Amino acid sequence: MSAPTTRLENLPIDAVHAGFALLVLSVLFLLSPLFVQPPGGSFVFFEVGVLFFLYAMILVGLNLQFGHTGLVNFGPVAFFAVGGYTAAILTANDPYQAVGLGFPWPVGVVAAVLAAAALGILIGVSTLRLRDDFLAIVTLAVAEIVHGLIVAFRDVTGGTVGLTSVPRPIAGTTDAGGGAALVSTILIFAALALFFYGVFRRLSGSPYGRVLRAIRADDQVTETLGKRVFRYKVAVFVYGAAIAGLAGALLVFYNGAAAEGFFTIDVTVIVWVGMLIGGAGNDRGVIGGLAIIMGFQLITRFFNDAIPFITQDQFASIRLMFVGLLLMFIIRYRPEGLWGDADRLGVES
Amino acid sequence: MEIPLAQEIIFGLVIGSYIALGAIGFTLVYGLVNMINFAHGEFITVGAFVGYLAVVFGGLSIPMAVAVALAITAVVGWVIARVTFEPMNEAGAVPLLLMSIGLGLVLRNGFRVIAGADRRTIPRDVTTYRFDDWGFFVTSQQLFIIGVTLVAVVVLHVFLSRTMLGIAMRATSDNEDLALVSGIDTRRIRNAVWIAASGLAGVAGVMLAVSQSANPNVGFGQLLLIITAAILGGAGSPYGAIVGSYLLGIGITVSVAFLPSGLTELNATMAFVVLIVVLLVRPGGLVNAEVRTS
Repeated sequence: MSAPTTRLENLPIDAVHAGFALLVLSVLFLLSPLFVQPPGGSFVFFEVGVLFFLYAMILVGLNLQFGHTGLVNFGPVAFFAVGGYTAAILTANDPYQAVGLGFPWPVGVVAAVLAAAALGILIGVSTLRLRDDFLAIVTLAVAEIVHGLIVAFRDVTGGTVGLTSVPRPIAGTTDAGGGAALVSTILIFAALALFFYGVFRRLSGSPYGRVLRAIRADDQVTETLGKRVFRYKVAVFVYGAAIAGLAGALLVFYNGAAAEGFFTIDVTVIVWVGMLIGGAGNDRGVIGGLAIIMGFQLITRFFNDAIPFITQDQFASIRLMFVGLLLMFIIRYRPEGLWGDADRLGVES
Repeated sequence: MEIPLAQEIIFGLVIGSYIALGAIGFTLVYGLVNMINFAHGEFITVGAFVGYLAVVFGGLSIPMAVAVALAITAVVGWVIARVTFEPMNEAGAVPLLLMSIGLGLVLRNGFRVIAGADRRTIPRDVTTYRFDDWGFFVTSQQLFIIGVTLVAVVVLHVFLSRTMLGIAMRATSDNEDLALVSGIDTRRIRNAVWIAASGLAGVAGVMLAVSQSANPNVGFGQLLLIITAAILGGAGSPYGAIVGSYLLGIGITVSVAFLPSGLTELNATMAFVVLIVVLLVRPGGLVNAEVRTS
């Protein structure tokens, strides 16, 4: 089993190159008159796939924060939402009961990343000195505050209705219908996710990553070695915030809308559970974990119709019960996850 | 319509009362088991449903339902804690926190599967007492909620200051290692904490079922307020939690007068802002507690 893996490791390209190449190819594909029309029944797979790549982007940032550095960020969705709403507000054209400034979409993307990073700096500088479990509460509270503000300031954000009339730049490259647009979107998102996965993997594999793991193991010892632990923590927090902000912008440009329902605590739960299943700190493992949990969500969709006497609401609840049980079992019996390193995470299994 | 300040304070005392019932238990668990229990809200929900069933199907009076909910929730919470948290007592704060999040998801959605999202309210007779000269009214139900909480607080105080178990609890909360070498059975203490915290959550649940409704989210909806109150009072300190709860309750209602209209629904959001500010400015809360690492 190790031979092909080793050969793969020794290839002169890594995920950054591959992602970049795929990105160029998919842009060329979009600009060409070619298109792919997927079969009708497969749309649901593509839709979940689009979310998978966006959540994967959030996850590589979160994994750098928690898996490598040990920062317990329970509010990744806050940065996702700030990015999404920043992009939507700047680019929407005449949305219903909300602000839409009508700028071109690249402005929205850049502003989303900057806004999320700015929030990351603000939260990071103020809270990263707190103990683990209190950091968890604060970041969770930040996510709730962001959600509360989005709902309350309905003149700006559209409240529970959300913002519509957001441009859809990727879907706009083809007029071959929703299916072709979906394929284009997933190509671009996959390329971007692969690229950023590579970037964060390089970061964690470099001497920089060793410092992060030293901070996770013991931040006081790391401090005495002359590393400015607090700065590292803030930087890692901001990287994660920025990439989650970018993912948020991509989501609203994919949907052509922003709504508070896209940015609920469920996003945080899915990303966290995916990370824990895969094994926090293992870059490849966490993506595998996310694939497992989202694959579970996808497959169980088809069970719903098959089981009699169960309403849609009940089914959704049963699914969340399974997610909770899975989380409990992982924490109890395999805290290092499927592919994680128990020694490095400092857990006993 | 302008609501007089005295009236806002009455409302605040009521809100503070059921936050306090949750926050005392939450903070006891924090202080003695060293974990932040995100499933504490679900223990409250258990109490709400038990109370509802006791009144509507059991035909009990509301005070009797409080007693029943206290007993049943105490046992349920204790059993759950023994199965889930106790086996990993040494695992550290973050794994325990994640465990409680998983448990919360399971319980909350379990309630939803069984009970649906319906809102069930305990039927009751409400008398209103008016104090027009002072500009407020108070209902018998509000007095009941405040009264039950006061009784719980007094019982708790007597327990912590007069009984051996209570004194041992405080000693363990202060310094677990020292308590252990002094011959205190910390395992027994943890059991007692789970029973007390869950029992109080049961009472809180009935209060919520009386004043709002018994629904799958009723306890979870209080959780961040409870955490805020507990931290405001100094995490781990039961007396601090009581003070923190009433400050928060009154703060929430009185702040309505100062928020621009249309943004009044933000007052729950404001509570989280309070939480963050307290953690940043005075992380030990009103009394001192250790939450910073560096």
